[in-house]
Amino acid sequence: MLEIGESRVHPKLKELVVEASRSLALLDADRLEELALSCEALNRRLAPRDAEARAELAPEAREAAGDMAVFARVLEATRANLRVIRRLRQLRGGCLEYGERQVMEWNPTEGGSGNN
Amino acid sequence: MGTISSAFSLISQALDADQSGLNVVANNVANANTTGYTEEKPNWQENDPIEINGVSYGTGVTQTGATSVRDRVLQERLNQEQQSASASSSRLTALDSVQSLFTSASSSSSSSSAGNIGTDITNFFDSFSSLETDPTNNADRQTVLSSAKTLAGDISGAAASLNSQKSDLDQEAAAVPSQVNALTSSIAQLNVEIQSSSPDADAGTLEDQRQEDISQLSKLIGVNQVTTANNGISITTTSGQALVSGGTSVSLTTGTVNGVTDFFVGTTDVTSQLTTGGGSLGGYLTARDQDIPSVQSSLDQLAYSVSTQVNKVNNAGTDLDGDNSNAGNIFSEPTQIAGSAEQMSVVMTDPNHIAAAGSGKGTGDSSNATAMAALQNQTVVDGQTPINYYSNLVTTLGSTVSSVETENTAQNASVTQLQTQNDALSSVNLDDEASAMTTLERSYEAASKVFTMLDAIMASALNLGEQTTVS
Repeated sequence: MLEIGESRVHPKLKELVVEASRSLALLDADRLEELALSCEALNRRLAPRDAEARAELAPEAREAAGDMAVFARVLEATRANLRVIRRLRQLRGGCLEYGERQVMEWNPTEGGSGNN
Repeated sequence: MGTISSAFSLISQALDADQSGLNVVANNVANANTTGYTEEKPNWQENDPIEINGVSYGTGVTQTGATSVRDRVLQERLNQEQQSASASSSRLTALDSVQSLFTSASSSSSSSSAGNIGTDITNFFDSFSSLETDPTNNADRQTVLSSAKTLAGDISGAAASLNSQKSDLDQEAAAVPSQVNALTSSIAQLNVEIQSSSPDADAGTLEDQRQEDISQLSKLIGVNQVTTANNGISITTTSGQALVSGGTSVSLTTGTVNGVTDFFVGTTDVTSQLTTGGGSLGGYLTARDQDIPSVQSSLDQLAYSVSTQVNKVNNAGTDLDGDNSNAGNIFSEPTQIAGSAEQMSVVMTDPNHIAAAGSGKGTGDSSNATAMAALQNQTVVDGQTPINYYSNLVTTLGSTVSSVETENTAQNASVTQLQTQNDALSSVNLDDEASAMTTLERSYEAASKVFTMLDAIMASALNLGEQTTVS
């Protein structure tokens, strides 16, 4: 009998990983969250199993090894992108909006003497 | 400075500065659709004040050129991702071609195809099952030879196609250095111009051209860039060989080593480094030196094992002419695994030489045909049955294609994200330009009014003491 939350069709680990790579690349946060929940559920199901049952999943894990490597590279690239984008945001500060700084760039500041 | 003429000077500078600012805006608008153009913002600089009798007076404003709005860290990251995306794109294209070889031809097609190898294996061994029931039947013997020829033809055809694809990739890879050298030469030339014209500041159009060259270069090979003194940029391969240093570029050259094109920087063979480095060249070389050889190797193993095992069993039986343990080979006997697939062929021409009977038994016996048919269920190819081995070959290839496809999709998405950021920062936004133009126009109008007032004041001053007509 199925437990609550257990689906009848279990997606293969490989499919989960490929989907995670795609979602990460597209920065699809909602889908990533769903996948993370799926992984949590998978871990919960695995926890009480004995070594033999776990060993049955080993081929599936081996099959997904290549895609895990891809996922790791996508993760690393995304981190690097985010570091660059965050740094850029900090540099630009309020310039993304119609802030004072942008106006200042286009308008020469008044001289200290107040004469120009 | 307290005089009317100095006020004229001040406002005249303001008018000049506003006009220069409008020129910058006009240039931005004109280049809004120019590839690689980076938006420029005018630089304003307050003139040094002068002090007269302890009082400081401002001396106006000067417009000191314009600065391109760019972020080199972002551009470098974009180039890195572009290298990875180009590599996976070219590798994926090559892998798609390889995979299409192993796609089953339609059932209505009678032509040979590598995609039919799985069916060919089954048909070949099944033909021995038919022969078992009537070992002297000539039609069944002809069917064995014909299915053997189809199998050998499809395997050797696949091997030939793989070699042809490898050769095509080699040619595509060999064409890359000329493009690389043109770009590195241009970057070196731009380095010289930038270092002489603007060693301390952004070089505007020249910098745009240099960045565009680096971006193009990143699509071709994996490179690292290092900012050097006086606004120069050095370019190296990802493994550190210098391609551009200041105003000097080092050519990437080619040479033939073991029948394929290798790549050199100076006298150093950098082929393996370029393979892992990225860019389309990295993708071509990965497909040429890793992916295709891996498939070729598997196909060779299949051809070698099937040929040797089938020949061995045939030579262990008795043929229709009564030759015992000497019936001869069905397939050409390979001497080594490498190259077995391309050389696979059927050497037997007389169907009577198929040894269906067991050793020392009469020609009506079919025990050797049974042994031959049983080969398809035995682990004779690297610990697997022939059909499983072939299935694994196709599955592994499909898995590689799928992984590269996923990676390519991710990398293209990554490039798009970074490009969007770069465009938001550096490309010309016509709304912003319109806003800037309005600001400058108002400023120019204000300065004009001041100028007009000063003119009137000056006229009044010149007319002091003279009687004038009052209207």
